[in-house]
Amino acid sequence: MGLCLGMMRLRIIKMTKPKVGFYGITGCAGCLLSAIFNEDDILPLTKIVDIVAFPFIKEKKDESGFDIVFMEGLVASKEDLRVLKEIREKTKVLVSLGACACTGGVPAFRNFIQHDDYQRLVFHKRMKLEDLEPSPIDKHVKVEYYLPGCPPDKNEILTFIKDLALGKKPKRYDKPVCFECRLNKNKCFLDKGELCLGPVTVGNCNSVCVNGGLVCWGCRGPTPDANFETLISLLHEKGIDIVNIRDRMKAFVGLKLPEEEKKNEQDYKT
Amino acid sequence: MSRIIKLNHITKIEGHASLNLSIKDGKVKVCELQATEGSRYFEGLLKGNDYYEASELSSRICGICSCAHTVTSIQAMENALGIKPSKQTVLLRELLTIGERIRSHATHLYFLALPDYVGYESALAMADKYKKEILRALRIIKLGNSIVKVVGGRDLHPVSLTVGGFLKIPLEEQLAGLKKELSLVKDDAAQTGRLFAKLKYPNFINKTESSSLAQNSEFATLYGDIKSESRAFMQKQYKKYFKEYHEEYATSNFVVKEGKSYRVGALARLNNNHKLLSSNAKKIISSSRISFPNYNPFINNFAQAVEVVHFVDRAVQIINSLNLKKEPIKKARLRPCHGVAAIEVPRGTLFHEYELDENGIITYANIITPTAQNLRNIQDDIRAFLPQIMNLPEKKLILEIEKLIRAYDPCFSCSTHFLKVNFV
Repeated sequence: MGLCLGMMRLRIIKMTKPKVGFYGITGCAGCLLSAIFNEDDILPLTKIVDIVAFPFIKEKKDESGFDIVFMEGLVASKEDLRVLKEIREKTKVLVSLGACACTGGVPAFRNFIQHDDYQRLVFHKRMKLEDLEPSPIDKHVKVEYYLPGCPPDKNEILTFIKDLALGKKPKRYDKPVCFECRLNKNKCFLDKGELCLGPVTVGNCNSVCVNGGLVCWGCRGPTPDANFETLISLLHEKGIDIVNIRDRMKAFVGLKLPEEEKKNEQDYKT
Repeated sequence: MSRIIKLNHITKIEGHASLNLSIKDGKVKVCELQATEGSRYFEGLLKGNDYYEASELSSRICGICSCAHTVTSIQAMENALGIKPSKQTVLLRELLTIGERIRSHATHLYFLALPDYVGYESALAMADKYKKEILRALRIIKLGNSIVKVVGGRDLHPVSLTVGGFLKIPLEEQLAGLKKELSLVKDDAAQTGRLFAKLKYPNFINKTESSSLAQNSEFATLYGDIKSESRAFMQKQYKKYFKEYHEEYATSNFVVKEGKSYRVGALARLNNNHKLLSSNAKKIISSSRISFPNYNPFINNFAQAVEVVHFVDRAVQIINSLNLKKEPIKKARLRPCHGVAAIEVPRGTLFHEYELDENGIITYANIITPTAQNLRNIQDDIRAFLPQIMNLPEKKLILEIEKLIRAYDPCFSCSTHFLKVNFV
């Protein structure tokens, strides 16, 4: 693993261990599992940080205050919002863990399709469910860091915790997926005329989907300088329908696309 | 005397749930197990997408069984479009779901269930005294993850599968690596079987039907009819026997079979198919004091442990029979069509059903997850179990109820996607 958690333990022993919580609101537990699935490092990890709450695998919780909280999932109900706000109050560093927390993920895709159907649903049942429009957590509370991806990269989670525990400021990765994809010597899907979102999507996933034969669906969200319109016209020239391209771009990160961000800001003001 | 018990935020389960209990004069008046998870309306958001996009999207229903949703979705599409996958494709898909089964069971057994039985609040808290067991769990989980990663291209939400075949197949040396890892974990699997054979399970029987896939030739995973004690029927007839319904208090759906509660999952599978287990798995059963069919819901833990043993053997068998070669992906001929598929996944039988239009666009989607099928049975079990634990002090009583709920390994994330867009 090369993270030298044993060594770190020695260095950290003099400081107090950071109090860490892992929480999930509406989601699939995949991000929390990504943390647990660091099979070789999960036990050493408990020596450098104090996992004070992790309801998925832990009964006891000390919710008096947290140095770091990893929050999985999106806000889709009033209960989600209540939990999120309560945890935020007690937390120094709140981390958006995974696509749903960072961008709304696939569940937020429903903001864009079949809207009439949902309107009917609102009428019939949503009052009872105390349902909210699906949205990423930073629409509601301040977030210090983002670990994007569906699922987030499990090594990235570990490196992040290590950095914070040592008092280092974790850096946000901003190169596109294509950067690592080329290093991995994959054949370019764009050359083949396939709908790949690698050029506009933040990497640090080691281009895992393309390595496995799948086009990039954009789950890690747009790069800071993403040029969506150029990619759309390029893909369109290759014969892909513009509606399909725009739909795909919305599948994981619809609410974080530039035009939606603009709309959101307006929503806030009104 | 009346007691009201409210368990908010039950821990050590997948997702969010709470339980409302009200007991009056020794009788259970209210027993409501409710998911407190927000709804994600997956079936609604699948509509309007292309048929080949459904596996990628529906995988996101669940992290712990993402491979299950991927494979079921693909098989339902293939059934709709009349595509018959190659033998190699079928074996690789089975191997993938086995990897997922092994890691899911190991996670549930050691991290969610075992702490209750040895008196700890969590596996992390057990790590000093039970280091051997926790390290064993982590080795088994790692094996499961390796299998999923090699076959699916990533350890959660697999990427290499598609309708008609594989986008990318594993390398020979990767399979050889898996075989080596499997041989190392074989003993861990057997130890798991023995450990869960000797735990002290509450003495409680509630005889309800066990529903699972079944085949004559092998322990069913991806194919087979739906079988229970009373009857067997074809997958595509599922709506004739299973009915989904809503409760006012819950975000999840409930499912009944011919009006009654029933169980799915490892225990149901063993009740129906235990004769087809591997010889090592059978040995674990015969050297224990537990036999099948069995109607003690707590024995689901042991059934999961037996499955870990069986599927380690089955994975080796599959790898030995594979002679990997690159195959073209079978093409779909688009037309208005309809297809159903059911496969066995960690928590029971998973159903996906789709209707497509002439352009391959999804016009209807229906998904029934195992936990939705188990929910009513869990409630019925709690009602039946309460009289025998009624006199325990509250803290112990709650622990016993939680043990019962956890024995089903419920996944509340999965259980809350059903809300139909079209219900009126």
